[in-house]
Amino acid sequence: MRRFLTFLISIFLLSAVVFYMSRLAPGDPLVSYYGDRVEKMSPAEREWAEEKLGLDDPLSIQYIRWLENVFHGDFGISYKYKMDVLEVIRGRIGNTLILGGVGFLLIFVFSLLLGIFCAWHEDRMIDRVICKAGTIISCIPEFWLSLVLILVFSVNLQWLPSGGAYTIGREGDAGDRIWHLILPMIIVVINHLWYYAYMIRNKLLEEVRADYVLLARSKGLKKRNIMFRHCLQNIIPSYLSIMAISVPHILGGTYIIETVFSYPGLGTLSYESARYQDYNLLMVLCIMSGILVIVCNMIAQTINERIDPRVKMNELVCTMDITSEITGVAGMPDAADTAEVTRV
Amino acid sequence: MKEEEILLDVQHLSHIFPITRKISVRAVDDVSFKIRRGEIFGLVGESGSGKSTVARCVMNIYKPSGGRIIYKGVDVCDSRQFRKNKRMLQTTRQIIFQDSDSSLDQRMKVCDIISEPMRIQHMTPPRGTMRAEAEFQMHYVGLNADYLDKYPSELSGGQRQRVAIARALVMEPELLVADEPVAALDVSIQAQIVNLFRHLQKEHGFSFLFIAHDLAMVEFLCDRVGVMYRGKLVETAPVKELFANPKHPYTKRLLSAIPIPNPRIERQKGL
Amino acid sequence: MTEQFEVVGIRQIPSEKQEKKNRWHEGKPVLSGGLLMLIVAGCLFCNLIMTKDPSYLDFQHYNIAPDREFLFGTDMMGRDIFSMVWYGGRISLFIGIVSTVISTMIAVVFGAVSGSAPAWADTLLMRLTEILLSIPGLLMVIFVQAILGKASVLSISFVIGITSWMSIAKIIRTEVRQIRNSEYVIASKCMGGSFFYILWRHLTPNFVSSIMFMVVMNVRSAIVAESTLSFMGIGLPVEIISWGSMMSLAENALLTNSWWLILIPGTFLIVTLLCITNLGNYLRKNVNRRERNI
Repeated sequence: MRRFLTFLISIFLLSAVVFYMSRLAPGDPLVSYYGDRVEKMSPAEREWAEEKLGLDDPLSIQYIRWLENVFHGDFGISYKYKMDVLEVIRGRIGNTLILGGVGFLLIFVFSLLLGIFCAWHEDRMIDRVICKAGTIISCIPEFWLSLVLILVFSVNLQWLPSGGAYTIGREGDAGDRIWHLILPMIIVVINHLWYYAYMIRNKLLEEVRADYVLLARSKGLKKRNIMFRHCLQNIIPSYLSIMAISVPHILGGTYIIETVFSYPGLGTLSYESARYQDYNLLMVLCIMSGILVIVCNMIAQTINERIDPRVKMNELVCTMDITSEITGVAGMPDAADTAEVTRV
Repeated sequence: MKEEEILLDVQHLSHIFPITRKISVRAVDDVSFKIRRGEIFGLVGESGSGKSTVARCVMNIYKPSGGRIIYKGVDVCDSRQFRKNKRMLQTTRQIIFQDSDSSLDQRMKVCDIISEPMRIQHMTPPRGTMRAEAEFQMHYVGLNADYLDKYPSELSGGQRQRVAIARALVMEPELLVADEPVAALDVSIQAQIVNLFRHLQKEHGFSFLFIAHDLAMVEFLCDRVGVMYRGKLVETAPVKELFANPKHPYTKRLLSAIPIPNPRIERQKGL
Repeated sequence: MTEQFEVVGIRQIPSEKQEKKNRWHEGKPVLSGGLLMLIVAGCLFCNLIMTKDPSYLDFQHYNIAPDREFLFGTDMMGRDIFSMVWYGGRISLFIGIVSTVISTMIAVVFGAVSGSAPAWADTLLMRLTEILLSIPGLLMVIFVQAILGKASVLSISFVIGITSWMSIAKIIRTEVRQIRNSEYVIASKCMGGSFFYILWRHLTPNFVSSIMFMVVMNVRSAIVAESTLSFMGIGLPVEIISWGSMMSLAENALLTNSWWLILIPGTFLIVTLLCITNLGNYLRKNVNRRERNI
């Protein structure tokens, strides 16, 4: 119950912060509503337009009015699309969920496999090669990777399309959509994969050095049994909690990729709405992402409390590096980070 | 007991730790005792009986929830009086902790650690430089000057505790509070440190609040002893009297728990 | 096993291997350090190696593939890529360092205050950072940039700086929370050490090691952020040359298939990032090792 309350307060504060920040930023929302016609408007017309959109009142009144409307389930209209905000989002959200959700699952599975593989072959040639390659790949900014892949696969080889979600005129064709998803998906996965794989690898190696493994060995258990039955089982919960925190991280990473591929998803939408002062749309998008972040943190906390009841609320969130959300490039796989999780 | 002789006067001290909104722990409950100038006062009791809390209240680390602590006529719990006499209080009272591992900053050299109090108070060292002062104090507590440039992690437990003692002594305190200073050490080192305390106390003449759970140590070192049990001070008496004629049942039990270095008698003591 | 009994325990360890391993550069990122030095030096003294004026628009030679005169080719506006790479690197590195300094300063103050404040204030401050963290970083940058007006090198460093301090602040706060209850801090307080004395003398030296890695990584992510922003057209304009703004013409480059416009600045960028990462990792490992020995 208390959690729910903090959740509500956080969301409320978030909306206030976003509201004031977006209004303080200079820019003319009328431009996004009327387009170029704004420049030809007479002052009287302008005033009328501002009044119609409710932009002439002081900020706090505007904010209270916005809150009131939200309580009635009315999120306002998007200035740019001149549609109900929720309608606009409904049209786009599926694309982002497919890209982010499937990407997340792929990252989840592959990083687990890769991490186990590397831990299994610790310090052998193959492990070293993968580690080095992983470090290099994780250094590449995702927009550049996208550019190179487009350059190679769509410009030169012409195997794959360079952008969009579907070929015009073939909107219902699932195959075509998948065709368009391949490149962005590859980039989403490659970009985050190593961060988590490395984390798994290091955690497994830490686990392998624990005393109980020695005991199991001396009892004659097989290496494979120990690794999968015991070590893996011990790290899975903390891995789950880290993955929970990383959901917004990965979804945030799709923003840039969406822009590069001009893929019609929430990323491009929020980018546009922020640039063109489409306030109502922006508020809803920000609050959605805020809810996502907070909910994921709560899930992670619950998991962690299950593992270790001593973990207190608030203490966990400090463990993940979310700075890189701007760029979506994960900070280097970080043993210190993971150690933090276990220590807290 | 004459008034001017009394250095520290703890009156009806109590301290409560809130755990949740409903549950709280009464760590110290109505404790009163006095320490005279130049006296060694021992505080004994099992772990969790509130000895350390008393020490920390005396040092202003915790704000007591009730009672008064009068030190040299100043009520240290009163924030106005505290501020007025801040410098006096901070220079003449010093504390030594149990775990020298965590009471010394791992990243400071021994010589910086020892001279830290002087640097904080911006004092001019009486022996020229900070380093010379640190060296002098090291010598005083029986450490070689070679250790000046070492880090605490390079020293043994006994040596570290000596460094902590040297840090406390640098200010020439009038009241030294030692919170189980020997509990974390080996037995042979314990003896060395306790001897050192006795020696230092004779030379400096400071008053000493010595907290321990080891009765033998207390018998050897202290002039007067207070016994704490579950946050209450159950008995206070001069050390000889206490050991010869304990009044409170808990004190009796505590005394009977001292092992006697003779197996026959020890066995007779009964189970 | 041929013998029935075997001596267990003392075994001779061949010493040849150890001698071989004990070279000075063992375990040190020599290659990364060297490369990074080379790039930094090249950028600092770019005047000496530039063959052309990087901002000169040579309309006769535009969009030329690398040849002998234009070592790395030219872009759409006829600027020489070779000169631009060195010249722009200077600005990219500058932005990386300045924004890291800004964010670290904010983080240290914020983290230390939050870590040593009473519980309710701490909770409040941490909630605040959480809220800030839950606003997508890209949007934050757009807002702040819009408030500041037209993008310049300093304003973009400022924007990146004030949008990336949160995670360092959180780490500092956790560290401070742990350290401030240790007995040497209490002892120092008893001796009369003030808040700033303790912050400077005890807290900072103890948490520096744990944020050092983060700080180095922050340089890296700041450079990435700058190039990403410039690429998306909300960072530096095309006239101000940096690795990022050089790639903001990439969309056109894709149409004309001029690979050098994308690959060359990108390679420089990635090599720099890789070197910084390796240095950071080395730093972290070293710091950890030292702590464990203590």
